[in-house]
Amino acid sequence: MSAEVQQTRRAGHQDTGSLAGSMDRAIRQWLPSLLIVVAILVAWEMYVRVFDVQTWLLPAPSDIGTALYNDAGLLWRHTRVTLSEIIVGFGLALASGVLLATAIGLSRTLERAIYPFVIASQTIPIIVIAPMLLIWVGYGLAPKVIVVALISFFPIVVNMVDGLKSVDRDMVNLMRTLGANRLQVFFKVQVPTSLPYLFSGMRVAIAVSVIGAVIGEWVGSSEGLGYLMIRSKPQFLTERVFAAIAILSVMGVGLFASIGIIERFAIPWWRAARGQQTSEN
Amino acid sequence: MLTSGKTDGSSPGAQTLQPADYAIEVQLLSREMERDSQPLPVLRDVHFHVEEGEFVSIIGPSGCGKSTLLNIIAGLDSPTSGTVTLHGSQDRQRLGSVGYMQQKDLLMPWRSVMDNAILGLELQGVSRRDASDRARQHLGRFGLEGFENAYPHELSGGMRQRAAFLRTVLADQEVFLLDEPFGALDALNRTQIHQWVTGLWESMRKTIILVTHDVDEAILLSDRVYVMTARPGTMKMVQRVDLPRPRSMDVISTAEFMAMKSTLLTSIREEATEGSLP
Repeated sequence: MSAEVQQTRRAGHQDTGSLAGSMDRAIRQWLPSLLIVVAILVAWEMYVRVFDVQTWLLPAPSDIGTALYNDAGLLWRHTRVTLSEIIVGFGLALASGVLLATAIGLSRTLERAIYPFVIASQTIPIIVIAPMLLIWVGYGLAPKVIVVALISFFPIVVNMVDGLKSVDRDMVNLMRTLGANRLQVFFKVQVPTSLPYLFSGMRVAIAVSVIGAVIGEWVGSSEGLGYLMIRSKPQFLTERVFAAIAILSVMGVGLFASIGIIERFAIPWWRAARGQQTSEN
Repeated sequence: MLTSGKTDGSSPGAQTLQPADYAIEVQLLSREMERDSQPLPVLRDVHFHVEEGEFVSIIGPSGCGKSTLLNIIAGLDSPTSGTVTLHGSQDRQRLGSVGYMQQKDLLMPWRSVMDNAILGLELQGVSRRDASDRARQHLGRFGLEGFENAYPHELSGGMRQRAAFLRTVLADQEVFLLDEPFGALDALNRTQIHQWVTGLWESMRKTIILVTHDVDEAILLSDRVYVMTARPGTMKMVQRVDLPRPRSMDVISTAEFMAMKSTLLTSIREEATEGSLP
């Protein structure tokens, strides 16, 4: 058995690589997309220069870079507003989404009663609801937070409900033979099973919540990156519009990556267990 | 047997008809399923018993309803007709009293070996500390010492199976059902684990029903071996194994063992050929 033990120990320590190793892996993972971005930027820059495109029509990447540098203070102020709308709205969506999914998972009746409304909520065009929100709750943070929450709670609920339902029947039977009741099966098997699904839903939700915040600001606001874009366009400050887009993209990618990092700490067993499954099959 | 299995045991004298030391008694149990909206008899008039502290194996051709039978005994499924009696009582809820270990280890990937092992105790309301203390006493014997904080994906197949075994043993239920729990192990690991299970059982003397398709395994571990017919499954014969205990692997080469093995294999082969007929 000692050979077996040693082998298992080694396998267990394989994934705890050194810092240099993980840096190396990160570079190798991101290098292809980085190269694509660089190639596009170079082509774009050359196109604008060769054909002498006006800045207000299509700014060159270098113009956008200059705008990012010159307007750093202004952009940062508006970035903070948009970021807080996203974080508060997403937090609201997460809390209500998890609660709703739990209720749906616990009760067939509730599922039948609530689920149609959850789906219907996604068919309402946000662009129509957003101006109404201004009338109902006024300007300020509230209507944007609500738009973000409305748009991002759907993938959270749907994914978690799917997760709660995708339990291993044999594991449920094992719990029952050990004397578990319905609630124990739910919290000790269904909820842990649903967590990887929940994180998938959160990834989708955080990406769409960036769009939600911008829509909310377009409809009516006095600050935020969406507001800045709306105001800069008629002033022909197109490079500033593009600077705001660049910041939103980076923000989206960053938030998406943060969910992955939280997932790694929250459910450390998932990645490893999944990796083993794929290597076995 | 004076009563048919279909009475519900409500008459006062019903229990005294059954020997008190039967841990499990299955009477005239049948189970019908439905396939393509046609009734499909899976089990027909299964009749057998297991004494308290006895190790009984059931072998039979694949698809003969062995797993369905265990599901019914565990309380996960209900028979179409017939009864299962646990320690003289028909009406008792068997879920929670009958331990059931399947071929899949069913370890929860989000729980450490320790937390998986104490699952049954946790559900019985034993405090985490007491449960862990109890589990720790067994870790060495189950070859899991130093692995209590490891997660299932870090373990080999054999270790995972032993962790699942530890979970079953710690739950300490009245009867253990084992559904081909060693099926996933390779030959070398199987021999080792047979030896180990024999030792474990001889020290615990728990009532065990093992479903297997390995005749050597059945004879080596059991007090009695039942052979089932092809579907619809029913008990065909029973072979008492009087080999002295403690048993070692050496018994496999004795004449007595060989004779039992050939009797059982002949009986199983008849079923295998009959079962393959249309």
